[in-house]
Amino acid sequence: MKLKEIRTRIDTLDRELVQILDSRMELGLRAKKLKDQVADPDREQVVIRNVIEGESNLLESKFKETLFQSIVDESRRLQEEDPKLVAFQGEHGAYGDVASRGLVPDSVYVPCLEFSDVFEGVAQGLFDLGVVPVENSLEGAVTQVNDLLMETDLKVVGEASIPIHHCLLAPSLNDYREIRVVYSHPQALAQCRGFLSRNRIEPRPYYDTAGAAQMISRDRPRAAAAIASSLSAKLYGLEILKEEIEDADSNSTRFLLVAKEPEAEDGNKCSVTFVAPHQAGALHEVLRLFAEAEINLTRIASLPIRTDPGNYTFFLDFEGSDQDDKIKKTLAEVKTNTTSLRFLGCYRSA
Amino acid sequence: MSKLYRTSRVDGQEPTVVNVGGVEIGRRLAVIAGPCSIESLDQTMAIARAVKEAGADMLRGGAFKPRTSPYSFQGLGLEGLKILYAARQETGLPIVTEVIDPRDVSWVAEYADLLQIGTRNMQNFSLLKEVGQTNRPVLLKRGMYSTLDEWLNCAEYILSEGNPNVILCERGIRTFEKYTRNTLDLSAVPAIKELTHLPIITDPTHGTGVRSLVGPMSLASIASGADGLIIEVHNNPKEALSDADQALTPPVFAQLMKQIRSVRLHMEQIGEVRT
Repeated sequence: MKLKEIRTRIDTLDRELVQILDSRMELGLRAKKLKDQVADPDREQVVIRNVIEGESNLLESKFKETLFQSIVDESRRLQEEDPKLVAFQGEHGAYGDVASRGLVPDSVYVPCLEFSDVFEGVAQGLFDLGVVPVENSLEGAVTQVNDLLMETDLKVVGEASIPIHHCLLAPSLNDYREIRVVYSHPQALAQCRGFLSRNRIEPRPYYDTAGAAQMISRDRPRAAAAIASSLSAKLYGLEILKEEIEDADSNSTRFLLVAKEPEAEDGNKCSVTFVAPHQAGALHEVLRLFAEAEINLTRIASLPIRTDPGNYTFFLDFEGSDQDDKIKKTLAEVKTNTTSLRFLGCYRSA
Repeated sequence: MSKLYRTSRVDGQEPTVVNVGGVEIGRRLAVIAGPCSIESLDQTMAIARAVKEAGADMLRGGAFKPRTSPYSFQGLGLEGLKILYAARQETGLPIVTEVIDPRDVSWVAEYADLLQIGTRNMQNFSLLKEVGQTNRPVLLKRGMYSTLDEWLNCAEYILSEGNPNVILCERGIRTFEKYTRNTLDLSAVPAIKELTHLPIITDPTHGTGVRSLVGPMSLASIASGADGLIIEVHNNPKEALSDADQALTPPVFAQLMKQIRSVRLHMEQIGEVRT
């Protein structure tokens, strides 16, 4: 191996070490939500003993002890700082991560495998907030998330519209001209179909956009690239070969910020769900109430109720505050005209 | 002579207009300006702003350089393409850049509006076929030792692959004269207009290789009926990484642009020149 190659490998390992430490700190912060107090001397001793007794070729016990003592100290310091934990679905660098950083700056962003993990975690108090995509401008409603909004008791406390710009990412040492396959989430691959066919690159579905970037960075498969956010390029040390490779000019996803408690500050936008009785004009009657009160609706969506085929839940977003008398009155009237009205929250519009 | 099914001009045929990112070459005069090589983001941005200010229609700049010596600066490659794209985003000027390797064609096509085939690659047939399969217009420079027939056959290669948008560029041919780097063959301009429907521009920078001759030959090109010009402009020609002796500074280029417009206007006023 040449010196340059060795150094590149060292740089990669260092970046991975930092990522691993990051994940460790993240777990410490999550553990804090389940502990009575931050400091736990018994546990700290176990952690350091495990490391000292564990096998290693080159590291001496003294070095390991000093290293891990400082890791434990840092973890404790972070826990005492008590930053907000914001959960999103996907790996670090996913568009949910991008949205979280915009919605709740200076927090700790926690990746979750499934949308349901985000909802459950927030409901159980393991996370302070959750960020979930509710609809995409090209693909429509994210049904899983809309279902979870119906089924759980979380409140909507904010929203953001995130422009989705896909980037083609690859390790910088690889020759971009050799790229033949690209890994990403099927939706991202579909949104870049034109680019891929022009460049004769074969799409390979992967569970997550950022997960694909992480895999490309870690495994460095030959002739392969990933489609993910520019944040992923930064997090995984990949080169952006081309930005904005999506076929459509405008592609954005609306994310909702969810919490256990409703937003304390006055908002200017509300979200509700309801089920209208199965009779002629029932939906029209509800919409008429909003029309007559001159309340502007910003979204109407209907999603099938999974447990009740043939019936639908309606999602309604409208402008205004739930503190406003006109809106209070309208919602009261809507309640009498529907079978189950749920107020999801009042928040500042994006 | 082999038959040029797609390139020849048939009687009464209208000249072809090639649309490059909104610039219609063949309909109105198009001036392409910029550095020989993309050296850095700052350099490219500064020159792009200056040529835009002077009234240029398009930005040129090399990311892949075919150099006489393998030890000369070979270009920034993909990094250079990204810089050109950034300059396009800021100035709105469409981008023309050279492609020298068939493996780079689809990548260059992602970033550039017009793909340039350089003089040394005019008869690189695999490269011609590759650009013929893209959806980007092609600027085909004349080989420095080529006859018009050989040149038009190369255009035929691109057209026969399904890409109808070819712009020819007279860039000077090798003669026994040593004072100039090449001899800009201006008789090629009206000759090409007789032979083909494709638009033709000239490159007075490489056509002479001498800075002081660029201006006069630009004006002569317009008088000969060229549809446009491609001119090298560098904000600091002495420091340029390639072709330092022939680039114009932005102020000189801005002055020349006025004279170019004035000659063009005059040529339009006197109408078609017949002998």
